[in-house]
Amino acid sequence: MATLSKSTDFRQLKNKLAQYLITLGGVSVLFTLILIFMYLLYVIKPVFESAHIESVSSVTLSNQSPAVVTGLDELKEVAYEITEQGQVNFYQLSTSAFREQGSLIDNQRVIQDDAAISLVAHGNNHQVVVVDSQNQVKVVTAKFTAKYLPEGRDIAPRVDYPLGEEAIIVDEEEQALTKLAFAMDDERALFVGFTEDGRLIKTTLVAEDDFSYDWEYEAVYQTIDAQLTQVDDVAITPDLGMAVVRSGNDITIYELDDEYSVPQKAQFTPFSNEAELTSVALLSGGSSILFGSSHGVVSQWFEVAGENGRAFQEIRRFKVSDQEPVSKIHTEQFRKSFYTFTPKGEMGVFYTTSAADLWRGQLIDNMPSVFAIAPRADGIMMVSEGQAKLFSVSNEHPEVTWSALWQEVWYEGYPEPDYIWQSTSGSDDFEAKFSLVPISFGTMKAALYAMLFAVPVALAAAIYTAYFMPPVLRKKVKPTIELMEALPTVILGFLAGLWLAPIIEDYLPAVALLLLFLPLSTFFAAYAWYRLPRKWKGRLPEAWAPIMLLPIIILAALAAFGLSPLVEEFYFGGDMRQYITNDLGIDFDQRNALVVGIAMGFAVIPTIFSMAEDAIFSVPKHLTSGSLALGATQWQTLVKVVLLTASPGIFSAVMMGLGRAVGETMIVLMATGNTPVVDWSIFQGMRTLSANIAVEMPESEVGSSHYRILFLAAFVLFIFTFIFNTVAEFVRQRLREKYSSL
Amino acid sequence: MISVNPDLISNEQDKLDLNNLSDEQKALDIKNLNLYYGEKQALQNISMAIPKGQVTAFIGPSGCGKSTLLRCINRMNDLVDICRIDGEINLHGENIYNKHVDVAMLRRKVGMVFQRPNPFPKTIYENVVYGLRIMGENNRRVLDEACERSLRSAALWNEVKDRLHDSALGLSGGQQQRLVIARAIAIQPEVLLLDEPTSALDPISTLTIEELINDLKKQFTVVIVTHNMQQAARVSDQTAFMYMGDLIEYSDTNTLFTTPSKKKTEDYITGRYG
Repeated sequence: MATLSKSTDFRQLKNKLAQYLITLGGVSVLFTLILIFMYLLYVIKPVFESAHIESVSSVTLSNQSPAVVTGLDELKEVAYEITEQGQVNFYQLSTSAFREQGSLIDNQRVIQDDAAISLVAHGNNHQVVVVDSQNQVKVVTAKFTAKYLPEGRDIAPRVDYPLGEEAIIVDEEEQALTKLAFAMDDERALFVGFTEDGRLIKTTLVAEDDFSYDWEYEAVYQTIDAQLTQVDDVAITPDLGMAVVRSGNDITIYELDDEYSVPQKAQFTPFSNEAELTSVALLSGGSSILFGSSHGVVSQWFEVAGENGRAFQEIRRFKVSDQEPVSKIHTEQFRKSFYTFTPKGEMGVFYTTSAADLWRGQLIDNMPSVFAIAPRADGIMMVSEGQAKLFSVSNEHPEVTWSALWQEVWYEGYPEPDYIWQSTSGSDDFEAKFSLVPISFGTMKAALYAMLFAVPVALAAAIYTAYFMPPVLRKKVKPTIELMEALPTVILGFLAGLWLAPIIEDYLPAVALLLLFLPLSTFFAAYAWYRLPRKWKGRLPEAWAPIMLLPIIILAALAAFGLSPLVEEFYFGGDMRQYITNDLGIDFDQRNALVVGIAMGFAVIPTIFSMAEDAIFSVPKHLTSGSLALGATQWQTLVKVVLLTASPGIFSAVMMGLGRAVGETMIVLMATGNTPVVDWSIFQGMRTLSANIAVEMPESEVGSSHYRILFLAAFVLFIFTFIFNTVAEFVRQRLREKYSSL
Repeated sequence: MISVNPDLISNEQDKLDLNNLSDEQKALDIKNLNLYYGEKQALQNISMAIPKGQVTAFIGPSGCGKSTLLRCINRMNDLVDICRIDGEINLHGENIYNKHVDVAMLRRKVGMVFQRPNPFPKTIYENVVYGLRIMGENNRRVLDEACERSLRSAALWNEVKDRLHDSALGLSGGQQQRLVIARAIAIQPEVLLLDEPTSALDPISTLTIEELINDLKKQFTVVIVTHNMQQAARVSDQTAFMYMGDLIEYSDTNTLFTTPSKKKTEDYITGRYG
């Protein structure tokens, strides 16, 4: 009795254990799926958050004279001011091992003792140009050097003179300057200024060697033929190519590239008569100009190629304030963000590309006298009433909004709004173009062409195998095709990209001929077989009769390829590809939708075939007999009963195939050319979501907008395949229920 | 004890001489029919005449070849690859195994109902008119009329007339089987083959179908295969007893069940084997 109960317990234990293990397995699969989902969402979430601005600290400035310029180091540990008297003061912003917060670290004079600063200009790389009351011009930069000591990091600030400590003669005639703009690179430094006696001047300092080694230069003085009585703003693009001059409500743009003259490039009135022009700023990169108006609007303009060459055009507007004028626009150095101020000190943060309204509000009671954006754009400094206040700005992903991802965006330099995916480029001030439309489109296009090839082939094969093929042959054919599914797609991918694509390009007429030859030869072979005398047929076991078709198909293919050069010679002037490109005007990529359709078609054929074949084969025999017994032919039975009954299975087979084609990576990566274009043409390539992730993830900076958008792309892909598989499963379940009583 | 349809007894004087039917009386004439599945012979030299407008039953133990014989009549055995047939089955004096016979045409004249109800996954209406549609009939009026007529003939009209466009799969087993009969008679066959039509049904549905068979013989020649000897006795006019591929005895039902002439028949109907 004891042994009996013991063995019962053991059996019970095994039973329970198995039950728990299976439950655990199932739950953990679900859990993992949810975890993947959650992680994707967790990475994506920050891109849709708007900006946050928080007060961090403030420093009381030395009360000698008001600040005219302020700034801070990359780590936001040290701030500086330049006072009206030409004193540069460095302050500790956060307490370190060496100094208290707010303490003065160092000070230094940059102009003569008895002078005061009358004019400042900002350069393209944190340089400050100071002009003193004696018309002495100096270019200064605050430099910060980090020292790592046992107690911690110490930032040592100093003043640097990129063009030498000697005063620079900007105006040949040594008149006082009322407006000045400055920009420099390694070879040239450029000033555009307006003098008290009404001349607009351009002064170029040409480096003898390179400004990064020494500051030996030669000055070239030019006067711009402008006839302006008043100049309110001057700005130079960072590439030293253009100067933007505001005179009242009018804007004049000069080309600066020419060594001998300064031609006027464009002249326009941004707001015409509707409002007054109150401020101007160059957006990062200098391609776009922002104009602020008296009725609270900021307008973005850039050059657009049109019928009469490139011309400045208004692109988009931002409503900054309801009534207040836009008195100041500050732009970030590397991104297309800008900050606006109204006279009352209301601030707004915007991003041009995504047309994003990121933040609005009032941080201090009045308009700050001096404003600066931290070098990494993660903070801002405002000087007001003898206090320098630091705010941290968390605005990591301003370029991403739902509309920028899915709608047409007018990017800088493009003739019209468009869907563009171009995530990186060589330059820092590049405008990233993150439209998910081209790559989602590419995914759909690749899947569609693959299905166009795979569905007819796979379904016809499934119907033949399940319904007409002798059972002996079926037993061999079905597992063989299913085995194809195990073929690594990377092999299909490189065969398609490196072997098939050049062949298709060279033998394009053959591909068209095959479309004609294959069905025709099959048809004729079948007819010939039908008419063949019985004693001939008897020689081949009936089960193997379909094999007869193989040599005929091979012959037809050979004939198509053999005829290809002839067809090309006679109809397409010797080269069909040239003909398509030149005569039809259709772009031809070697790696195109045709190649992908065939290669990916091969990858999904086994999936569709296998499931559809099962569905057709499992149509109950008594249904087919029922139909045949009513005098239906085999074909009628197939069309009206078998396919109808198998339709749920066939549908879900096609959906599974589609799901696979959408998620497929290696084939599209290797055979599409990865060009993110929106074009249905069969001769054009595409880039798919999956290939895009595979291509760009390795080069993407972790945590950047690009990185997060790739996760978003993964999420979209996940949703796509999820939808296809769910629909397939749902329809299958529904229809299975419907036909369960068969 | 096997009960015999009293109608049959009262009609005894009209009893046909099965061995000497005139051509007009014959619906089907089977002559020297042999059937082989591969090497194995399943039917051996069967010869029999099936009279018009009557119910003929095939009985016998499992595997005796009664269903096989039935399926020869509308050439359903053609679907079996390894099946080979010699001999003749004449319909209107024409051998249905003749080379020039269109099998689809033959099956329109010789309808068949199977063991398990096999409605198509379509509506009741579409099931009934299926045979007409595949013949290319698309006239709505003709189809409607045929549908009603067939369903009435199959004693199903009153039950389904309000839901003709619902799925046929929602019907009960007995209703489905009557639907299948309606489907078969919609194309107006001459002969209706019933292959154990009630074996998957409950007793009440069985009774309904049996009553239906009695009505059907007014319009069609009915050949029924059944396992159930009482059923054969109840519904048929003639009964053929088969055993191991041989036709052992073929006579009018009353005679076969009351005074069988062969020992094997007697053993079978008295339940010694089968």
